[in-house]
Amino acid sequence: MIEAAQLRKEYRMGDSVVHALDGVDLHVAAGEFVSITGASGSGKSTLMHIFGCLDRPTSGTLRVAGEMVSVLNDKHLAEIRNQRIGFVFQTFNLINRTTALDNVVVPLIYTRRSFAKKAAREALERVGLGKRARHRPSEMSGGECQRVAIARAIVNKPRLILADEPTGNLDTRTGEQIMHIFHDLHAEGITIVLVTHETDVAVQAERMIHMKDGKIVEDTAVDDRRREQILTQTHDAHTKAFRQKAIARAVVPANARIADADPVRD
Amino acid sequence: MFHIQILLMSFRGLRQNLLRSLLATLGVIIGVGAVVSAVSILEGAQRDILDRFESLGADQILIFNGVDRHGSRRTQMNSLLPEDSDRIEEDNRDIVLATSPQYAGAAQVKYFEKNAYVNLLGGREAYPLINNYQVLHGRFITREDVRGDAMVCVLGYKVAEDLFGALPPVGKTVKINGKSFIIVGVMEEKGALGFVEVDNQVVIPVTTAMGRMFGQRYLTMLVVQCTSADRVPVCIERVKKSLRAGHQINAGQDDDFTIFTQDQFKQQLGQVALIFGVVLYSIAGISIVVGAIGIMNIMLVSVTERTREIGVRIAVGARRFDILKQFLAEASIISMFGGSLGIVCGWAIANFLSEFTQVIEVYTPPIIIALALLMAVMVGIVSGIYPAIRAARLDPVQALRYE
Repeated sequence: MIEAAQLRKEYRMGDSVVHALDGVDLHVAAGEFVSITGASGSGKSTLMHIFGCLDRPTSGTLRVAGEMVSVLNDKHLAEIRNQRIGFVFQTFNLINRTTALDNVVVPLIYTRRSFAKKAAREALERVGLGKRARHRPSEMSGGECQRVAIARAIVNKPRLILADEPTGNLDTRTGEQIMHIFHDLHAEGITIVLVTHETDVAVQAERMIHMKDGKIVEDTAVDDRRREQILTQTHDAHTKAFRQKAIARAVVPANARIADADPVRD
Repeated sequence: MFHIQILLMSFRGLRQNLLRSLLATLGVIIGVGAVVSAVSILEGAQRDILDRFESLGADQILIFNGVDRHGSRRTQMNSLLPEDSDRIEEDNRDIVLATSPQYAGAAQVKYFEKNAYVNLLGGREAYPLINNYQVLHGRFITREDVRGDAMVCVLGYKVAEDLFGALPPVGKTVKINGKSFIIVGVMEEKGALGFVEVDNQVVIPVTTAMGRMFGQRYLTMLVVQCTSADRVPVCIERVKKSLRAGHQINAGQDDDFTIFTQDQFKQQLGQVALIFGVVLYSIAGISIVVGAIGIMNIMLVSVTERTREIGVRIAVGARRFDILKQFLAEASIISMFGGSLGIVCGWAIANFLSEFTQVIEVYTPPIIIALALLMAVMVGIVSGIYPAIRAARLDPVQALRYE
């Protein structure tokens, strides 16, 4: 799904050059659930923007969803963002003056699809917000907003979802519900790349990548044993219990329905 | 689908920021409103005046008393005498068909208890012919009436109706400013001739008017009917010659009369209209420029406000051209909205003035509405292009981070 070779991204800051990405090699297979962690400034957001075709690498090659995006022009990149990638942001990034439904319609406008409302409604139903279609972001909770954003990301049925700290602005309970949706999407075979700095969230992926100074410093597959290992490195009973729950959450039956998720009331 | 979506989006934006959009587009509203009302009034006035002058045929010459241009003040130089009329006819029988000396005044006409305030015209037998104005009942004033200072009168249609209703007026006696006149005829319904409402006019012999009625020496004007329109220039020269001879003006001295033709009136009218037009269109042009700046300003604000939204749109697949189109559409819609309001306001103002004054005629040419709308769209596009380009050029990564 993603094949990156020697990706570099440099910014000029006055006289000095900042290496936001310093030679990243990464291969993400179709259907994988990958989490990326790292301190701020480690390059994880830059990497996400480049994967999402919002930014171009200074050098290196990148193949996303089968397309050699490092050589495509703006028009083709727009098409790939539109058709093959779903973006989920930390701050939801909804358009506040329109309804949930209209927000979900936005990608379809650029796909030039008729029956856009129908597809958008279906996407909203998938995230359990069918009844909130007419509400505006200001009338909804953070969790609901993020679910609208996920509906917007999946409305064009992409095979890849890029989520940049999707639970960062949510309380833990709501965050869990959002993660539940990601697990369901993953179970359907969608590739997910998720940036976070919460260990509890990161370990829910199948593979954890840790970045530092624009480089991948750790890339480990996560199995149940490893998950235990990471999460039990605490002496606080409350945290421990919470983390155990997260471990349980990571194993989701493939036939789980997203719409069954508890409606968020917070 | 796509374009409709974009238009709908823009409409919604406009509705949500109604007051702001209204203020932004104020310049366009004023500009378009000024153009529409000005053109309506100007066009109406021009039509009205031209209509009136149509009754003054292209084959006629109007002669008025002269104006003394010496010194700083212009003073009326009374000179036209009833005899001038005969002289012009006698001198130029080959190209002058008829002449109509006129003395215009106002008078009160009484028939028992009934009263009418009328335009009183001292005229001659050629008056109906020259003005293509027919007698309905009885007869018009004859040459004999004029010669004999007869106390006869011919009523305009409305005067007859007001004083007599369904009764036949011919043969009855009325008092005009206290003097008794016999009614010899009633004119057809005509409306207006030139600037005179002839239906509310009473005609008496010019000699009677100038003598017994008003005691005046000089005519108000003199109409000369030429044999054909293309002979009018020759006719003017000949009439001048006759009048100069009659008034004993030496070579080198100025005329003591003024000659007008339909052509000259039209030309003068055209000049006045042109001056008015230039002034009004300048005002409109300035307002439109101000309007364009207003719209550009509000669009720049809108782009800045919606930086994140633009970032999101790009992230979910909008091409830069899509962003450009969206903001251009918004600017055009705001401008069109202003233009439409301007048209309605301009039209309303023109019609209000017309109703209120009862003098101004109003005519709004459909083409001006189309032009105004077109202009509004142009203003929208011109003023929206820069903000739209700025929006389209935003870096999505920066835009998504924008607070």
